[in-house]
Amino acid sequence: MDNLVLKRIIKTLTITVLAGGGIYVLSFLLRSGGIPENEVVIYSAIGSKIDSLDPGNIGDTSSSSVASQIFECLYDYHYLKRPYQVIPQLAEGLPSVSEDGKVYTIRIKQGIYFTDDPCFEGQRRELTAADFIYSWKRLANIKYLSRNWWVFDGKIDGLDDFREYTKSCKSMDEVDYSRPVQGLQALDKYTLQITLTKPWPQILYLLAHLPTAPVAKEAIDYYGKSIINHPIGTGPFVLDKWNRGSYIEMVRNKCFHDEFYPSEGQPEDLENGYLADAGKKLPFADRLFFMLIQEDPPMWFLFLQGKLDASGIPKDNFQQAIQEGQTLSRELAEKGITLKTFRNPSTYWIGFNMEDPLLGSNKPLRQAIACCIDKKRYIDLFTNNRAEVADGFIPPLMKSYDPDIKEKGFGFDIERGKKLVEQAKQLNQGSLPVLTLAMPSTDVVARQYGQFYKKSFKEIGLELEVDYMDWPTYLGKMHQKDFQMFQSGWVADYPDAENFLQLFYGKNVSPGPNNFNYVDPEFDKLYERASAMLDTPERTQLYRQAEAMIIEECPAVFLLHGVAFTLHHSWVENYKPNTFQYGLSKFRRIDVEKRKAYRYK
Amino acid sequence: MLSYIIRRLLYTIPIVFGVMLVTFLLFNVVRGDITDQIAGKAASAETRAEIQEAYGLDKPLFFDFKQSPFTKAFWNSQFVNHLFSAATFDFGSSYKDRELIWDKIKRGAGPSLALTVPMLIGTVVISISLSLVVAYFRGRWMDYILVLISIVGMSLPFLSFILFGQYFLAFKWGLFPVYFWPDLSVWQYTALPILIGIAAGIGGNLRFYRTVMLDELRNDYVRTAYAKGLSSRQVLFKHVLKNAMIPIITQVVLAIPFLFLGSLLLERFFGIPGLGYLMIDAIGSRDYKIINAMVYISAILFVVFNLITDICYAWVDPRVKFD
Repeated sequence: MDNLVLKRIIKTLTITVLAGGGIYVLSFLLRSGGIPENEVVIYSAIGSKIDSLDPGNIGDTSSSSVASQIFECLYDYHYLKRPYQVIPQLAEGLPSVSEDGKVYTIRIKQGIYFTDDPCFEGQRRELTAADFIYSWKRLANIKYLSRNWWVFDGKIDGLDDFREYTKSCKSMDEVDYSRPVQGLQALDKYTLQITLTKPWPQILYLLAHLPTAPVAKEAIDYYGKSIINHPIGTGPFVLDKWNRGSYIEMVRNKCFHDEFYPSEGQPEDLENGYLADAGKKLPFADRLFFMLIQEDPPMWFLFLQGKLDASGIPKDNFQQAIQEGQTLSRELAEKGITLKTFRNPSTYWIGFNMEDPLLGSNKPLRQAIACCIDKKRYIDLFTNNRAEVADGFIPPLMKSYDPDIKEKGFGFDIERGKKLVEQAKQLNQGSLPVLTLAMPSTDVVARQYGQFYKKSFKEIGLELEVDYMDWPTYLGKMHQKDFQMFQSGWVADYPDAENFLQLFYGKNVSPGPNNFNYVDPEFDKLYERASAMLDTPERTQLYRQAEAMIIEECPAVFLLHGVAFTLHHSWVENYKPNTFQYGLSKFRRIDVEKRKAYRYK
Repeated sequence: MLSYIIRRLLYTIPIVFGVMLVTFLLFNVVRGDITDQIAGKAASAETRAEIQEAYGLDKPLFFDFKQSPFTKAFWNSQFVNHLFSAATFDFGSSYKDRELIWDKIKRGAGPSLALTVPMLIGTVVISISLSLVVAYFRGRWMDYILVLISIVGMSLPFLSFILFGQYFLAFKWGLFPVYFWPDLSVWQYTALPILIGIAAGIGGNLRFYRTVMLDELRNDYVRTAYAKGLSSRQVLFKHVLKNAMIPIITQVVLAIPFLFLGSLLLERFFGIPGLGYLMIDAIGSRDYKIINAMVYISAILFVVFNLITDICYAWVDPRVKFD
């Protein structure tokens, strides 16, 4: 090979590199104008793809947090007050309830308009009571295949009959929505009356739940199946661009009604600056971006670069962000980043299938397992101490949380566990077989959980086999009761412990939410009584009694209650965490200049 | 040649049928029912039944034994529906978000190709160029160094290239964007992943092309060419490179169908809304319809590009004849 050959090769490589570099540089020169500089924009990350922006079929947190910027419900949670308080949103006030607790009459605010859209043929479209009736009948329509029928299942007089009728229709479009439902009446244009099949005080929370948000029939008829791409609500923002699998862009809704930042809150809110914007018109932002970021490293880098306004803390970056004493590290504090921690309404557990011939009839065995898990160690190993030990199922965030629960629960006690195993063996003719735990994941962390459980079980002389599986397989097993033990948890939909109690209710066994398949007539009676009561000290007592009953019978080993850690930059104002409310962007205020300075730096 | 092409195209039918059968068995028979996933939490039995009916999941997998005659029993099955939807390219809607699968594929193809095509071109050009260099310097320090670098590159997991590139080149030194951002052009947000893809791909490719070049350089015709007084340039570019074209064409043309599939990891880590990202999500959520569509299209592309490879052989090597 002579020099000419080498030169030619080098020339080829140089041209390739220069061509690539040239295109890259050119792309910066030819970049489009982008977002107007004077606009206030909020950049957030979402961790999973958006399935739908149709409130009737939304069943995941990411979709809910995005759709809640567009849709509103009759009620909402107060942004600042704690314990969580339901306040009117589209309703004029709280409902008037009949003496028997079955009839709710709700007056709807006048002058609320759906956002302008071609489906309304150039007319402004006002929200009426009939929109709620249509939307809830739509949930009941079996052909719609909503994930959210559970909200009203068996609760509203006549709505189940309507659902029954829809079974006879050939398609979704064939359903006659003018067919009356006894329990859903529009007394006039702005008055809605709901008649329940039995007292159900939790309805107030469900009326603050996104699936009950009103949609306009014209929009559904106009867009048909593509309504998932055309969310038309009454909320503070409207969809501008949905680049599926990438990002969602929203702009301020010009038709949004008057709503103001709250003027009251907790005593410390004033000091924390949460009341600085009291009484100001919402929303503060002009544009929202929800970026889909499913991997932790880019999400963390973008946050540190100031591209994202707020972020959670990835497990691998926890040491960088948090120092001893669970406070923010100096490095991040110097960047002006603020840490917010707050309790989640969640409980995680190892559940037992009470229909399993061995576990269902062997209480000492279940209790022994409850004694062998070192929950503190578990929390330390797997959550970076972002959790609290669970002794019962009601999280400390709930009003009915029992402060004495620790004494009732089964703590980590190997000796006691061993004794209980001996009793369990006697009940099972002297020996115990290998136990099986269904694990809803196959990843590395799930395998680490599995190792931890195996070791814990071994300490008291039990053998455990862990069956790792993907989520759909796991769900199938749950619904078919084809398992012995399972790892799971629950995040409350609303701030009422009833949401946890129903998980043990006999009528809710699999495929319902009672995956423990726990049936106890005494517990059921207690649940039925308590769940129909209003929030009183007596009800709290009943909830605690029911929880103690569950702890004693031990259909589950309660492991932990979640604690969330979130970070935000100094330019984000009014960042008060709220675990039940999703449409929070309207409260956030951004200091654009501060953000610009940070990014430049 | 025409009859050869027709014959090869006919082979496509059993091959694609086989692929469809395997994917169907994997996702329907081995992995079980997906109704629960569609139905969401706390779905009643009647909702689940309705979902099964709406998606045809209530039908038997292969045969409805209650039906007769045989044709009717076979016709009314999930497998036939599966074949029919593939044959008509009507893949329906995603189980997860109910969006038409064709819309997803159309939208994802552009970003995926914007990533994988430059990656392929860059990798091939650089690898072949370097392979000529190492072939020339065989047995000398330049050869050893480049081979060592290739082996190190091949041994490192692809993910470490991504993490290194994203941390140092994008986050620390700010040479590239960390992630897709709405106001960036496609070249801006794909530049770093393309670079990473090329860097990660060079090792294996360089080793392969080096072997090909060395094999050619050992042939008698090379010695003859040098004996005739041809320069190294003429020997390498006019003779060696041309004779090495068959393995190069095989490698390059067979890589083309996979360009369509995108890059699973790069797309996910850099937020590129391509088909790799779509596929990895569909596998995770067991959206069988999407997987089916992607596998089916890939299988067809693979068979077609295999045929193109064979045709190219005849083009570069006159000794190859179609019988």
